Amino acid sequence: MTAKVIDGKAFAANVRAQVAAHVAKLKDGKGIQPGLAVVLVGEDPASQVYVRNKHASTIEVGMASFEHRLPATTGEAELLALIDQLNADPKVHGILVQLPLPSHLNSELVINRIEPAKDVDGFHISNVGLLGTGQKSMVPCTPLGCLMMLRDHHGSLSGLNAVVVGRSNIVGKPMAQLLLGDSCTVTIAHSRTKDLAEVCKRADILVAAVGRPEMITGDMVRPGATVIDVGINRIERDGKAKLVGDVHYESAAAVAGAITPVPGGVGPMTIACLLANTLTACCRANGLEEPKGLTA
Amino acid sequence: MSATLIDGKAIAARMRDETRAQAQALAEAGWTPRLVSISVGDVAAAELYVRNQQRSAEAAGVAFEARNYPEAISLEQLTGVIQGLNADPRVNGVIIQRPLPAHIPVKALQKAVHPLKDVEGMHPASIGNIVYNDLALGPCTAVAAVEILKTLPLKMEGLDVCVIGHSEIVGKPIAFLMMGLGATVTVCHHMTRQVAVHSRAADAVFVAVGKPGLVRGEMLKPGAALIDIGINRVPDADGNTKTVGDADFASCAEVAGWITPVPGGVGPVTVAILMNNAVLATRLQMDHYRAAFAAAV
Repeated sequence: MTAKVIDGKAFAANVRAQVAAHVAKLKDGKGIQPGLAVVLVGEDPASQVYVRNKHASTIEVGMASFEHRLPATTGEAELLALIDQLNADPKVHGILVQLPLPSHLNSELVINRIEPAKDVDGFHISNVGLLGTGQKSMVPCTPLGCLMMLRDHHGSLSGLNAVVVGRSNIVGKPMAQLLLGDSCTVTIAHSRTKDLAEVCKRADILVAAVGRPEMITGDMVRPGATVIDVGINRIERDGKAKLVGDVHYESAAAVAGAITPVPGGVGPMTIACLLANTLTACCRANGLEEPKGLTA
Repeated sequence: MSATLIDGKAIAARMRDETRAQAQALAEAGWTPRLVSISVGDVAAAELYVRNQQRSAEAAGVAFEARNYPEAISLEQLTGVIQGLNADPRVNGVIIQRPLPAHIPVKALQKAVHPLKDVEGMHPASIGNIVYNDLALGPCTAVAAVEILKTLPLKMEGLDVCVIGHSEIVGKPIAFLMMGLGATVTVCHHMTRQVAVHSRAADAVFVAVGKPGLVRGEMLKPGAALIDIGINRVPDADGNTKTVGDADFASCAEVAGWITPVPGGVGPVTVAILMNNAVLATRLQMDHYRAAFAAAV
């Protein structure tokens, strides 16, 4: 194995430490405490774990955490009223509605009800458009985390060939925008792409976000490329459950210059970036300078 | 020349016929589409565009009012004007002519236009919808370029597309529109190391950078479609100015399978899309009004 392993856990810990230091400074200097509100509707077990983790991480960096757990039967009007209340609450700088919502609720409608400046997930249609037009926005957490790791590894990304595999609204599309923002030449490949291996082989930076276990193999990776694996797939191997990415790790690591493992790569960055976004939202809301290195 | 010339004027005329039929139907329902164009200060630079739009509107059955405000108007006053237009049910679309004076940031005005009246497709919400593959009111030039490509006998799904230029109103929206159609899209720009490596791999090339002669025949795959969005005014042999695109037409026409001329390619279709957006916006507002007030049809 030749590739440098990008340690997402350590990187995320560093981001969280930076956020915590900023939060402490805000509290001491200005008497401001950034606050994150998380809304969970229903009893989805995975969502409950996520919300618990987000709560603990928020507290850990010194922010205020507001949890709103609503029953699965909650109606649209009631949920929208809660969003309105959080939009108006000056102690709340970031609002996150845990997805998926129960099927009777229209998640698009709910997300677009969030005040864009408090939309720390970056899913509000205005934030998508602001990112698309190179304006200040809230950037989705996972691609923001990938961008931070890439900047750290490469310094400047300008002029590099980046290939993003997957065109999801949550990862692929914003990732492409961010890489364009950093002056990469960007190709977005996906399930309809004719010769995926050939396209991937052009990449200095290869971001895999398709949700198909180990579909990117070493023979598709350009020697020395940086491989960012956003996929998290649960598979069964030799009778045991196992987490793997969208990249076949062993074969890719033998060729790549640097690679993120799964687990322990991109995953830990998502919550760290959620905290970073909440801090950014808080600074903007108070007309303060944004934290450096924690935004796009 | 081996390439087939794409006739933008003919495509635009076909679109305008459809738009006129829809505008007529809306007019019969009491909703004649109506556009207001806003220009500020010296009109000379924008005059040609405004006149063009006015003519096209008349042909499409869309009412068109051109307003000009004095150079000294403030951003706040202009924003107020736009808010008035947003609130006026007789106005269905607002066009902001560029250039604007330096003290008026264009993005602030574009954001002030209500998304349902954003016929130019410049509001962040309109761009956001494109990224999310939900095309309501798209930026006219980008939509025009993609509509032109769609008239060719090419399968969009899996098509290798190269977009040269990553501007927010042309290059990037084209990339997202094409991606939504299933194409594999590569976006190149001034920091791209070797544009030819990417353009030569593409079945279709869009170019929108504002540099005459940027794309030459040897940068294309034989038989590829070339959609030239550039509009550059350059001196010709007789010392007059002529309008050319971003492609070196002669060499590209030798290699490409299809090519848009400049002028007469993307330009006329862009104006046709603006009129189509006016009709679309009017229908959206009518639906919105009826839903809000539960009016009997």
